[in-house]
Amino acid sequence: MKTFKKIFWLPVLATSFALVLAGCTKFLDRKPLQATLSDLHQGALESQSFAMYSTLRSYAGFSTLPWLDFNSIRDDDAQKGSSTTDGAEVNAEFETFQYTKNDWATNTYWNDHFYMINLANQALHIADSLKLTDPASLRDVGEACFFRAYSYFELVKAYGDVPLLNFYSTDAKALIKPKSPASAIYALIDSDLNVATQYLPINWLDQNNNNQFPGRLTSGAAKSLWAQTYMFRNNWAGAKGLCESVIASAQYSLSANFVDIWKDGVGGAGKNGPESIFEMQASVGQNGTNNYGVQWGTSQNVRQGGASTAWNLGWGWNTPTDNLNNAWSNSDPRKAATILYSGQYDGGPATGGYGATLPPYNPGTSLDQKYWSKKVYSDPAMRAYTGQIGPSGGADWIDHRIIRYADVILMEAEAANELGDGATAESMINIIRRRARGSADSTTVLPHVTYTSQAQMRQAIKDERRWEFAMEGYRFYDLVRWGDAPAVLGSLGYTPRNALYPIPQPAIDLSGGVLVQNPNY
Amino acid sequence: MDEVVVIGYGQASKRDLTGSIVKIEGKEVADKPNTNPIASLQSKVAGLYIVNNGTPGAQPDIRIRGTVSIGQVHPLYVVDGILNDNIDYINPNDIESIEVLKDPSSLAIFGVKGATGVIAITTKRAKAGQTVVTLNSNYGFKKLVDKIKMANASQFSTLFAEENANNNVATPDYSAINSNTDWISAVTRTAHFNANNLSISSSSEKNKFNMGVGYTHDEGIIRHEQLKKLLLSISDEVKVNKFLRVGVNLNASRQELPYDLTWVLDGARKIMPQVSALPKTFSYKNPYGLDTLTGPLYSTVDHALQNSGVENPLITIENEWPTKINREYRTVGSAWAEVSFLKNFTFRSTFYADMSELNDRQYIPLYNAYDPLRDSAYLISPRTSVTEYDNNWRKYQQDHLLNYKAIFGDHSLQVTGGFTTYYFGNFNRTGSAKQFTTGAATPIPNDPRFWYISTNYNDPTQTFATSSQSEYSTVSYLARVLYNYKGKYYLNASFRDDGSSQLPPKNRFQQFWAVGGAWEVTKENFLNDQHILDYLKIKGSLGVLGNQTSTYADGTPIPYPYYPQLNTGVVAIFNGTVYSAAQNSYVPNPNLKWETVASQEIGFEATGLQNRLHVEFNYFNKKTNHLMTYVSRPSTGLPDELINGGTLRNWGEELSASWNQAVNKDFSWNVSGNITFLNNVVVSMDKDLPTGFLSRAFQNNGSAESRTEAGHPIGSFYGFVVDGLYQSNLDILKSAPASAIGSYRPGDFKFRDVNHDGQIDYNDRTYIGNPSPKFIYGGSIGANYKGFALSIDIGGVYGNKIFRTWGSLESPFQRVNYPAFKMGRWHGAGTSNWDPIISQADRFNYNGSTYNIEDGSFIRLRNVNLSYTFNRLAGGAIKSMRVYLNAQNLKTWKHNYGYTAEFGGDATAFGYDNAGGAIPVVGTAGVNITF
Repeated sequence: MKTFKKIFWLPVLATSFALVLAGCTKFLDRKPLQATLSDLHQGALESQSFAMYSTLRSYAGFSTLPWLDFNSIRDDDAQKGSSTTDGAEVNAEFETFQYTKNDWATNTYWNDHFYMINLANQALHIADSLKLTDPASLRDVGEACFFRAYSYFELVKAYGDVPLLNFYSTDAKALIKPKSPASAIYALIDSDLNVATQYLPINWLDQNNNNQFPGRLTSGAAKSLWAQTYMFRNNWAGAKGLCESVIASAQYSLSANFVDIWKDGVGGAGKNGPESIFEMQASVGQNGTNNYGVQWGTSQNVRQGGASTAWNLGWGWNTPTDNLNNAWSNSDPRKAATILYSGQYDGGPATGGYGATLPPYNPGTSLDQKYWSKKVYSDPAMRAYTGQIGPSGGADWIDHRIIRYADVILMEAEAANELGDGATAESMINIIRRRARGSADSTTVLPHVTYTSQAQMRQAIKDERRWEFAMEGYRFYDLVRWGDAPAVLGSLGYTPRNALYPIPQPAIDLSGGVLVQNPNY
Repeated sequence: MDEVVVIGYGQASKRDLTGSIVKIEGKEVADKPNTNPIASLQSKVAGLYIVNNGTPGAQPDIRIRGTVSIGQVHPLYVVDGILNDNIDYINPNDIESIEVLKDPSSLAIFGVKGATGVIAITTKRAKAGQTVVTLNSNYGFKKLVDKIKMANASQFSTLFAEENANNNVATPDYSAINSNTDWISAVTRTAHFNANNLSISSSSEKNKFNMGVGYTHDEGIIRHEQLKKLLLSISDEVKVNKFLRVGVNLNASRQELPYDLTWVLDGARKIMPQVSALPKTFSYKNPYGLDTLTGPLYSTVDHALQNSGVENPLITIENEWPTKINREYRTVGSAWAEVSFLKNFTFRSTFYADMSELNDRQYIPLYNAYDPLRDSAYLISPRTSVTEYDNNWRKYQQDHLLNYKAIFGDHSLQVTGGFTTYYFGNFNRTGSAKQFTTGAATPIPNDPRFWYISTNYNDPTQTFATSSQSEYSTVSYLARVLYNYKGKYYLNASFRDDGSSQLPPKNRFQQFWAVGGAWEVTKENFLNDQHILDYLKIKGSLGVLGNQTSTYADGTPIPYPYYPQLNTGVVAIFNGTVYSAAQNSYVPNPNLKWETVASQEIGFEATGLQNRLHVEFNYFNKKTNHLMTYVSRPSTGLPDELINGGTLRNWGEELSASWNQAVNKDFSWNVSGNITFLNNVVVSMDKDLPTGFLSRAFQNNGSAESRTEAGHPIGSFYGFVVDGLYQSNLDILKSAPASAIGSYRPGDFKFRDVNHDGQIDYNDRTYIGNPSPKFIYGGSIGANYKGFALSIDIGGVYGNKIFRTWGSLESPFQRVNYPAFKMGRWHGAGTSNWDPIISQADRFNYNGSTYNIEDGSFIRLRNVNLSYTFNRLAGGAIKSMRVYLNAQNLKTWKHNYGYTAEFGGDATAFGYDNAGGAIPVVGTAGVNITF
């Protein structure tokens, strides 16, 4: 009987064990209960491109305070604004040129640009390894090249020599590289923008002339960016050729009225206007639904301070300085369209206002700043529509106009002047002045500038850029490339070493000493 | 020595084991005013480090024998066999015993969940042959002590005026607010505690039955913080025949969880004392109607001075706590059958389930606040909304264990083999709804009837729902041998093979094992003729344990570590049309495996002097290998990645001793103590971690930093060393330049040039404090005289550091009240050499430094308990009755500015004093009656 029992038990045990083992493999196979990249066919290059547009919009190093710090707040016409205590460290860092090596702004600026570069490298790697050569894929390759060049251009302007990462890797050690000279970075920018100008379409119109993707990158955007990079290298011929090509493409025109450029109203009215070459796309639906906004507008709109919540329009960063207000003739209609004054009527639609009167300037009990950037002054209809109003105030729907046609025209003017072509310079600068003047009297308001000498025209163009692009983030790097920064910014604390920002300490720490700090820091 | 203790997948006589298991009787936790029974174990058990907090019912931060991981470090709970990470369904009064398992010999059988130690809880079972009814009831109160000291109104005015003068800024006029409020007092209260439990147990030859019900009302010291808990437990065991026994266990709980007020103490200390905490009686328009109401409104702060997240917390608390419903229903049950056959064999199968349903709803009503500047009421909450959060989890476990037990002459053998599976599924849904803003714009009524997502009051375009869900499972084979020869030489061996769904298939199964030996020296003949030692056992064990941890750097679990999560909101927008795209939030690693802990222990247990003295000593050494590290390398542009690499070592000694003496039949006394020396060092970090260290940084711009780096204890504080303050411009000129850190002036910190390169910059930061204690200890004295019993417990830690963030590293975006100690600030040459000039603009001083480091050592009078027991009352209807008084946390001796010196955290960032965490004194009176 005992033997029987033993014989009986063995097969039972063996069978149940086999069943258990077979069941286990399945029991242990558990995929996430949500989509992963492999579920989403992310091999598709277009999704990779869209992820770069997403990054441009949602990473602070491209869209909000760090970008404003580096590009605008550093110059003499813009300041941090906001309130005295809000972001107080920025006063020292970006207004008085006591750059810090370890701060949210500089770390974010560096990291976000390299994040974009990594995304571009990943897309290019996929295109390369799958040998994708169909027209749609090539356009995506063009976009990746554009974003990589755009990121590197911002890095090389900010930091000078930076690591050259033109390959894809998930191995951090492979991505730790010493700095490459700025010339090598520019060589990559040139080759990337060369590819981008070839692969990107001239526009996104379908056969019925409907724009499939308003605001998506074009060859014109690549050429305009490329021209900017040539300007920074004083390669006047290169810049001029590209500007002429953009002009000749007949895809762009100046908005009829200067104030129209900044309209950003209900239903996307004013976005991607005729003058828009490269524009960060933001969108907020009714009552905050489909919120794909960007804090570009929020970060700059009027800060409530001690005023009522009706004026809680934003954080109030990047505000005009007394210097800008005092230096700028009131006769230039752009001034009233660029500077929004506390305690004054906003000027109504003629100057980009909405018929409101701002509370007075009085830090503590009313508004904290005398002036605000009117180029991002939010449309009350959109505030109500999006629900970004009162205690939830903001202006996340506003697009950042990154490159507009006016820049191409003024680059053409400047490059032509430097090449000795005064006639072209004269014609180009006056296109800008004519549009700015509008219907005002041409004898008193922005009269025609006549070429008398290269030096005279050079100064006229510098002035024109200052007024045309005030508060847009051009001036600091313009002053640096003109060599005017020590003279103009010296009283604020600028010294020649301040042309370059020190490399963030965390990046140096991470590299284990492979990255070397910029000279004089 | 012959007591039976719970070991993994079975129980054994403590004498037969080679490991270290500490058993605590249930009565030790039953009469303590802690809803979470583990909180009562603080300072009681050598090797068990518990950091409590003051939130009712909240889990303490628990670590057994040090911090063994940079991810998951909490011990595993095993309650009557079911593996768990949370035991808040257990009634402390239902606990028969708690065993703490610490050594490799005891833990290897838990495989991948064993490395962090095990707390095994056994609930009460009916005792043979009797029916017993017990009633336990207690009532207590809690009071805030060791309050942090903030500036009063005149001190604030002085300091604020001085700060503005320091920065050449005019002081704004804030005369409209002129109270002198102690904000900490304004948000706290004397809280009450009440627990009532009834249990019935009955036992016969065939059947053992036990049932308990309990109700606890536990208030926190912050206004409106309260936990209500109803608990039910039932167990029954039937002896079907000689061969077969079957049984069921059921625990059910219903909790009304506290409204989250953990932020309030920090919020309150920020408010200027000039703001009144008293409600102002004021007329305002009824936000739900057209009429005018008159009633109390809470004041806002002066928004021109204070904003960016600083607001009177009473506005939120008082208006929103009544409209919060947060309930959890949890059921934990098991059914088992045990067959005995072939004389030496038993086979036991158990099926367990643990299911929880949590429903958390918050309705935001319309409400007004009083604006003292404009002397007006305004609608601070202008729109009603409802958010609803549902969390369900399911834990299923099955154990099938074959046990063989035999004695052959001098050889005694017990063999266990088993198969077990575990499934965990977690399902969350969050929904939110807002009222219409267009048309009639009817608010969602302030009536619980409508505190749901879809009520027809909600605007469909403003109604959203999201969910998150994850599952994992494990399959395991286990085996254990307990052997001894002549009751003198002991050998324990155990093995477990764990397969896990969370690992890539090629690494799916991982093996864990341990071997232990012991020698009961007192059984040897050469010790026969002495009367000092009654028992001496020398023991040792070694093994490899596993830690199932996959987390982000902050300790948040990553449920599918080899499938990356996708970043949310990754879309391109063209003309308002959304084009979806996807980005991995981390780089998937196809080679992941669980980290392992190579663990060793050696020690002895001894009893002597007529069993009055008991001593146990252990040395332990644990090396954690292949640390699962979440690596962040943002400056390369790469997403983060989970990587195996790095080694961590924990070692130390535990000594516990007790003396029990019955002086005569009426009087006995006892004294006991335990001390644990803890050492922790990071041996190496992953070589793919380019920095070589893990950084956890907090406060604005990461100025408060914990680093985990080779050669240093885990989570060490990192920052500058303060040598004093610059007293004058001359002082600055004579000192090494520090402008690399920012602009500075007299009154700012004089940081040390740690690397002696003649300038002070970020390279001069260094390790400035270890958050882990050098040793932890506890002691207890007890005396019994007739029916009286008195016991006094103390406990403490020594040698750890605290990082205080408040009164130092506040955000530049916030104006906050000053701590009172700022009255001793620098305000001219020679006035202070430690507390810097008052100025938020001096960001130079807003770097983490030794200024933030405080001594975390403390000693606490943990419990004083006095009781009297009556026997046979009411003619025997009451078998016994015990009445007691207990005072917990009566006095703490500490050295820091905070409410307490106890600050928990996670594996790589702990010990931060963020101006919260107050631990109250609790006085309780209670009665236990046995019928």
